[in-house]
Amino acid sequence: MRKSYKFALSLLVTLLTCSQLYAQITVTGKVTSQEDGLPLPGVSILLEGSSVGTVTDINGMYSISVPNSESTLVFSFIGFESKSIVVGNTTTHNVTMGQSLSQLDEVIVTAFGISQEKKSLGYAAQSIDAEAITKSRQPNLVNSLQGQVAGVQVTNSGGAPGQSARIIIRGINSLDPSADNQPLFVVDGVPVDNSTVESSGTPRGMSNRIADINPNDIESMSILKGAAATALYGVRAANGAVIITTKKGKDGQIRVDFNSSLGFDKLVKKPRLQDQYGQGFSGVRDDSSFWPAWGANIAEENDPNYVYQDNWTRAFDTGMQVDNSLSVSGGNERATFYGSLGRLDQSGIIPFSDWQRTTAKLSGTITTSEKFNFSGSMNYSNSGGNRVPHDRFLERMMYWAETQDVRDYINPDGTMRSVGGNTNPIYDARFSTYEDDVNRIIGNLNFNYSPTKWLTFSYRVGLDNYTDSRTEITPGPMGIDGEQALSATGFIEETRIISRDLTSNFFITLKKQWNENWNTSLRVGNDIFQRQFDRVSLSGSNFVIPGFYNISNTTQVFASQGKSIRRLVGFYGDLMVDYKNFLFLNVTGRNDLSSTLPQGNNSFFYPSVNLSYAFSEQLSLPAWITFGKFRASVAQVGKDTNPHVLGATFVSPSVFPLNGQVGFSRNSVFGDPALRPELTTSYEFGTQLAFFNNRANLDVTYYKSNSKDQIIPVPISDATGFSSYITNAGEIENRGWEIVVGGTPIQQGDFRWDVTANLTTNRNEIKEIREGIDEIVVGSQFGYVGSTVTMILKEGQAYGNIYGSSYVRPGADPESDFLDRDLPILIGANGFPVRTGTQLVLGNAVPKLFGGIRNDFSYKGFELSFLVDFRSGVEQYSQFDNFLSAFGKQEASLARNDFRVFEGVLADGSQNTKEVWLGQGVGPDGVSYGAGYWRNYYRTTSENFVLDASFIKLRNITLAYSLQPEVIEKTPFRTARISVAANNIILYTPWDGFDPESFSAGAGGNAVGFTGLGFPGVQSVFFTLNLGL
Amino acid sequence: MKIRNKYTAIIGSSLLLAFSSCDSFLDVNENPNNPEDAPISGLMTNSTFETALNVQRAGSATSNFVQYLASPNPSGGSDVMDRLDYSTTWFNFYNVMTDVNEIIRKSEESGANHYLGAGQVLMALNLGMTVDLFGDVPFSQSFNFETVTPSYDDDQILYDQIISLLDQGITNLQSESSISIGGDDFIFQGDITAWIKFANTLKARFLIHTKSTSGYSAAAVLQAVDGGFTSNADDAVVEFFEQRFNPWAQVAINNENLLLGGWISEQFIQALDGTTYPVVDPRLPLMVGTTDDGEFIGTVNGEGRGDAPEQGARSTLVPGQFYTSEQSPVLIATYAELKFIEAEAALETNPARAYAAYLAGIGAHMDMLEVDEAAKNAYLAHPTVSMGAENLTLADIMKEKWVALFLHPETWNDARRFDYGYKDMTLPVNLNPDLNNQFIRRLAYPDSEISRNGNNVPEVTLLDRIWWNQ
Repeated sequence: MRKSYKFALSLLVTLLTCSQLYAQITVTGKVTSQEDGLPLPGVSILLEGSSVGTVTDINGMYSISVPNSESTLVFSFIGFESKSIVVGNTTTHNVTMGQSLSQLDEVIVTAFGISQEKKSLGYAAQSIDAEAITKSRQPNLVNSLQGQVAGVQVTNSGGAPGQSARIIIRGINSLDPSADNQPLFVVDGVPVDNSTVESSGTPRGMSNRIADINPNDIESMSILKGAAATALYGVRAANGAVIITTKKGKDGQIRVDFNSSLGFDKLVKKPRLQDQYGQGFSGVRDDSSFWPAWGANIAEENDPNYVYQDNWTRAFDTGMQVDNSLSVSGGNERATFYGSLGRLDQSGIIPFSDWQRTTAKLSGTITTSEKFNFSGSMNYSNSGGNRVPHDRFLERMMYWAETQDVRDYINPDGTMRSVGGNTNPIYDARFSTYEDDVNRIIGNLNFNYSPTKWLTFSYRVGLDNYTDSRTEITPGPMGIDGEQALSATGFIEETRIISRDLTSNFFITLKKQWNENWNTSLRVGNDIFQRQFDRVSLSGSNFVIPGFYNISNTTQVFASQGKSIRRLVGFYGDLMVDYKNFLFLNVTGRNDLSSTLPQGNNSFFYPSVNLSYAFSEQLSLPAWITFGKFRASVAQVGKDTNPHVLGATFVSPSVFPLNGQVGFSRNSVFGDPALRPELTTSYEFGTQLAFFNNRANLDVTYYKSNSKDQIIPVPISDATGFSSYITNAGEIENRGWEIVVGGTPIQQGDFRWDVTANLTTNRNEIKEIREGIDEIVVGSQFGYVGSTVTMILKEGQAYGNIYGSSYVRPGADPESDFLDRDLPILIGANGFPVRTGTQLVLGNAVPKLFGGIRNDFSYKGFELSFLVDFRSGVEQYSQFDNFLSAFGKQEASLARNDFRVFEGVLADGSQNTKEVWLGQGVGPDGVSYGAGYWRNYYRTTSENFVLDASFIKLRNITLAYSLQPEVIEKTPFRTARISVAANNIILYTPWDGFDPESFSAGAGGNAVGFTGLGFPGVQSVFFTLNLGL
Repeated sequence: MKIRNKYTAIIGSSLLLAFSSCDSFLDVNENPNNPEDAPISGLMTNSTFETALNVQRAGSATSNFVQYLASPNPSGGSDVMDRLDYSTTWFNFYNVMTDVNEIIRKSEESGANHYLGAGQVLMALNLGMTVDLFGDVPFSQSFNFETVTPSYDDDQILYDQIISLLDQGITNLQSESSISIGGDDFIFQGDITAWIKFANTLKARFLIHTKSTSGYSAAAVLQAVDGGFTSNADDAVVEFFEQRFNPWAQVAINNENLLLGGWISEQFIQALDGTTYPVVDPRLPLMVGTTDDGEFIGTVNGEGRGDAPEQGARSTLVPGQFYTSEQSPVLIATYAELKFIEAEAALETNPARAYAAYLAGIGAHMDMLEVDEAAKNAYLAHPTVSMGAENLTLADIMKEKWVALFLHPETWNDARRFDYGYKDMTLPVNLNPDLNNQFIRRLAYPDSEISRNGNNVPEVTLLDRIWWNQ
């Protein structure tokens, strides 16, 4: 009875909304999905040959009036194969629709978690599915994007367990050295935090917060690249957005899935090292020397106490990771649920480094009536581990004697076994601990209410709350005679971070199919965001009782606190017009209000327009062209600034209190009280083509974006009373091409081969800084005796230029900032190359070209896939090399007793012919060479250490076998799959060092060209079992 | 339940928001970490502390020029007088002057004349050091953010302002004050008499710089000397802290840990070990360390250590001595320095006063180092030291002042005025070829200024002298 009442009501509505009053037969029914039997809301139903149409309601129900029984109804829905039915004699037609397999109808989850047909998008977007995400077994979701998406550059900051990975979409858009240039991460429609909070002292390789999410819970990720794709997320998505959709329960029987994987890590690559000289200096053996490798020839010594220890191999462990996850999901037509538990345990290759993650997730959807449904999810995670001081570890490896066993690090009384006054790296890694413990809850609730078919009210609320408790301990002396302690005083620091993001989003969707040609959908909404962050640190040094680690057991205690709050309010509108399903126009507008900008300037509007023309749907084209479309978009996005930067303030330098007094100084940063929002304008043109019934496809995009009125800390004369003036200044441009080529070259019987490749170019130019300001320094990294390098931004140059010292080259253009390595080097009267401290550009750390290629082969139950990615046009500073050459450890330093004639020209222009000795002290020629070529000349010149950091990597190779239906039927399982995979195998790189991908700054930093003494990259092998019940 | 309450609260508040004004919701940008104002005492604490560090920083920048120290590496930039970047030093001077400017502004408003006077003295000192290092520098358009590219003032005019600041400072220190200075003053702990003596001492220091200029008056110097320090107890110093070591101590500690620095120049060693002068100075073992074999061996400026190892083969600063103990004072101005200023000023008009001041200067420094009384007397009795008033020369005064101001930046001012005329002081090996075999006369303007305020930075070479050294 109740149902028929509703049908009558729908009929009434239909009658009222449709002007065609000649209708005689009312057809009703329910549309469901073939895959899971769930109702499909929003399916458009059109009476063929007319403009009469309707859409299904939230429960998939529809009702339409047709003139007679010969009428044909056409059911169409994004991502599904269209279906036609003739009405005939029955008035009830329940329709099941199958998902379209064609890639052309690929659905992309866009802004606010709305699925959109890729065909309709006027901008480039790419998504990757669950299988591609979990195949590489990366514990960090960001890493799983590596090499897979055009325009997206993902870089591992190092190989430590839980260590951050950096993601940059279409280049760096800010001149602010401390800006976060990474995209916004959105989980199920709610933005979440992906910041990396590095340790305040020595680098520890902390996690980016997306690492808290269990990749096994992810259904798909789409990457929205330009401002066009992200105008609806506002200021926070100015660098693009990664839209993550988690797995949901499905109508039908309860499913249980279990994944278990075991992985092993080892050092992927190390520098070429010499193994012939041991501890000492000037070629003289000295078993208590500070000098680890300038001593005697090991073979000539012929002494079992003076042999090469191969420490660089033996110091590293085999890392291990165990990842188990269990999920249960199911539901009926009214409600679905998904619950999962996950646990990851990882130990790193540097001894005593580890990381764990425990996750629990519960999500559900409930449809209470045809007009109302809601869903929610709650994700809890606990993560953390011991973060070893990897920078110091490798620095101390440098100092450690090659003829002393590095593994022999501790005395029976617990004190360190040190050699030549040097700290043992393994002892330090074991006892200088830094543990983090993150408890995080990410939750969201969604409500949808459709009072009528064309109107939906949606409300989404999200919470992302975490606490991060960190404890750093460096023990002091144990009070044992003759010990060498790690610290003269000992040190403990307790840090507590509380971060809370709240998001509220309310929007109204109005949909109207005007006639068979015109279809529109309008969405207007309000978006509110708040982030509160509070960090308190308490540190104590000088332990009273050795080995008792509590702040009250120290004699000097310091405290510090940093808090911030940021609020954003946005109003937006999004209109989509669809003409005959081949022309799509999308217009958006958004107005943001930010708490971080001065009142009066804190409200800003920005629009976007994009157009998609699927010409193959309109024109008649040769049969081999399956599909073709052009797309174009122009979009703007505004950007606010960090909280609490306006005006002048005072600071208390961290050295205080001294003698009970707290000093104050005026902050050297001054925030322009008239700060305006910055604006990025981007253009994008592209085409998407498919051939031979979709066996081959091509997607090409050109993009260009200009960020103007940048809010940057402009360095100003210290004499003004400030050193840095946060104001609107400068412009940066990024442009390039993104190409995706793919297809199915072979599909024969059970055998199938799929391939996709992507290629990205990026050109970046700093168009303008500010009148009178020449440069902005992003960061610098130490090198011995004048070989320190600096990343500097200058007008007219590209982001990422690395400046440093070089050899003098006669004939070089004195006006040029760039080193010309092709010119001959000036050789001094002493026969050695002449160095200059004048800072020149030695390389650029932003890759100009990168991409990847993925191949999937399947035959019956077997699957083989591999992903190869590469980057080129990138140089980095190798601090390792600089240190190795200072300590005589690199392979090249085997030439320490050679004579050499350096190639180059003398001051008079003639070719150098003078022979010099490379060794230390007085050479065989009677000349004193001091500390020798490697220390006196080679290590002092930055150009020797700024090197090509390109690579080609086998990012992942996986071989899997799934039990076939005929076998699985005899087991209790629904699915069963085993696989073996390997990750991060370097196929080619000119870089001599550890994995060139590792860098010092961590994911949050922009000084990417400095590899420092970072945690070396690892290669891994995994064994995985997936079972489904 | 808690979470659900949160949601309810959010839904409620956001619905409310939709109907209420956004302004108050967005008004949360006041800085919760840094105050918008600071107490005058806090500014005094930091300014006195940082002024002491500035003296040390300037000393560190110039100690190789005057060959106190030498680089362990060949062609060390400071040794060979390269064009180096002093951006950090420059920042530190202006940072302190910015804070002192705040002290002056606040104390004028509140009638805190003692703070005002002390602020003016600190401003004079920091500005004076900046001018002595760089010549023309920004000042009249500084500190108040009138422009992002402040113009440079003439160094001679700035000198008049320095003297004027000191005079005003003395007047203000002598008047009543609404607020008293106390332990927030790291130099004198609020002792106003000491501040007045300090102001006079600084006045004597800056006036003696102008000795070769037309406006110079020896009488004015001597008048300032009369109002200056009267014993070592008056010295303007900042004693360092358990939590924060003396920066020279830190250099010595770092050197022990192989972050090399604080190596002693051969010039200094030989001046005190009996090589250059026929007398062995008892202060040497109290000022610098020995080799592993107990010898004093210096490093030749510009030459580096050759194949000598990093440790144990050369004299360096070593932790625990007078200049290098963790809590050693940083010396800003001393009684010993004042006595040598007096000796120089009186040399022509009153040799007897000059001679007495010269001996008192040596004695004061020896007392400071706690030289054994017998050794002190023996040194003072040596005929080349106590040559008599009639035989005292400027060179004698300069040599002893050079020893007594070990590591102090004032020595470079002396060296330039004295044309580096110390006995046997030779140009460093591998001298910067741009200097045409001459000693450096000024610091290059810092790269930070050139890149941020380039249009105003004067074009100078390292041989261009500042106004009092023409």
